[in-house]
Amino acid sequence: MANDAQGTTPVLRLQNVAKTFFTPHGDVRAVEPLSLDIRQGEFISVIGPSGCGKSTLMNIVGGLIEDYEGSVEVDGVQVRGCHKEIGMVFQEESTFPWRTAIDNVAFPLEAAGMGREERVAKARELLHLVGLDGFENRFPSELSGGMRQRIAIARTLAFRPRILLMDEPFAALDEQTRLLLGDKVVQIQQELNQTTMLITHNIAEAVQLSDRVLIMTFRPGRIKRVVEIDLPRPRSSKMMGGERFGHYVAAIWDDLREEASKGLQELERLRS
Amino acid sequence: MASVEYVGARRTALWTPGRLRIAGAVALLALWEAAGLSGLFFRDLLPSTWRILQAMGDLLTSREFYTHVGVTVAEILIAFAIGTVLGTAAGLILGISRRTGDIFEPFIHYLAPTPKIVFLPILLVLFGVGMGSKIALGAISSFFPMALNIAAGVRQVSPVLLRVGRTFSLSRWQTIRMIYLPALVPPIASGLRIGLGVSIVGCLLSEYKLARAGLGFLAGQYGDQFAIAHMLAVLIFIFVLAVLGNAVIERLVRLPGPDTRRAK
Repeated sequence: MANDAQGTTPVLRLQNVAKTFFTPHGDVRAVEPLSLDIRQGEFISVIGPSGCGKSTLMNIVGGLIEDYEGSVEVDGVQVRGCHKEIGMVFQEESTFPWRTAIDNVAFPLEAAGMGREERVAKARELLHLVGLDGFENRFPSELSGGMRQRIAIARTLAFRPRILLMDEPFAALDEQTRLLLGDKVVQIQQELNQTTMLITHNIAEAVQLSDRVLIMTFRPGRIKRVVEIDLPRPRSSKMMGGERFGHYVAAIWDDLREEASKGLQELERLRS
Repeated sequence: MASVEYVGARRTALWTPGRLRIAGAVALLALWEAAGLSGLFFRDLLPSTWRILQAMGDLLTSREFYTHVGVTVAEILIAFAIGTVLGTAAGLILGISRRTGDIFEPFIHYLAPTPKIVFLPILLVLFGVGMGSKIALGAISSFFPMALNIAAGVRQVSPVLLRVGRTFSLSRWQTIRMIYLPALVPPIASGLRIGLGVSIVGCLLSEYKLARAGLGFLAGQYGDQFAIAHMLAVLIFIFVLAVLGNAVIERLVRLPGPDTRRAK
């Protein structure tokens, strides 16, 4: 299968994936049938207003939601439930506070039964990759939010997933940390040729990092438009001042604005 | 004077909590002694601290005393171990499975404050007058605080950590061992502390009620003979045992973290 990766078979294929939540207050259609192919090494961002079902989509792909319509395929094989080929990074604080940085990163390897020496060596490499050399024996409470999120990313990468899913991984960070961490992520992604899917509501972030940006509609979530970001690589946050960067941001906001205001109206209606 | 003087800080430095505690103990002893000497009470009711010390000396030099100590310590340790293991398992089940928790937790909640000594007659029939019934009562006593503490603690575990476990395809047992148990160290520690206390009470109380050996039995006998000094000496010995037990728990159950590392 892996031989096909460079060729025609997409690494990740979503076919007519849809989800309805059945609640006591009625059924909520979170995601309309949605199809998508992601190539090896591609960086895709899914952007949309709050309540567009983007986190639902992420949880379906990541396997946390198992009951949905349609199919998710990795390298042409259908998967359901959590899968070691798909790694997830969450928005919330997710490092284990009782483990040092290196033991956090080694967590999935330990769970998989890898010996102490081997997994520590691997974890050390990954900490180096995310730029945390020298912090191996620190506990999360001794590190900044940005460093903790880098530990979480390294921990997910320790499993060598074919696809890296990130659900607003920078949302809890301040703007400057977010930009620098974005640079780090895009650098790692290029280094590993890591197929990545990012959920975000930050337009600049999506443009900075992605090959393609998927704009989703407000509930029920559909793909409204796919924007190819044709900016040169290597990317960095320094490009944000550029004319084409601004052009992409404006174009995406054009599409997003309508959906975001729909979402806002819906929210205000519910509050009233 | 050029430098800033912290007068307030100096004054509090004289009365540190530790010194206040010692001063309190001394004052209490003095009060005890004064009440004994005042002649307001029946002479043997408040024996002087000297007589209690003598009684303690009697105990510590008699071989028989150590038999009682051995019986009680063995009962407490076995009872505590059984209650803790069963309580932990029950707490995990109640906490993790919402349905089981909804069904059974109210029972445990209402049974928890019931004095367990009411079960002693049943336990005597089931396990005999010897150590068995004492162990059973001590185990029942420590089961409840452990189960309730852990069940409540499980619900405090960050859901995102559990999601991380799911994405790494952890088995149920791995999830318990690698996420729940380390996350539950604080409630486990307090459950152990309370559990040890109530299992000591449970064992001693049932010894006091009906037994042939043990410190509770001994204290009861001295009480019946109005040998108050000896009875108090036994109680002080029990108190020291409990303090030691707590210190051991505190040392053993600790979460790895930056503070403990620096202390090393």
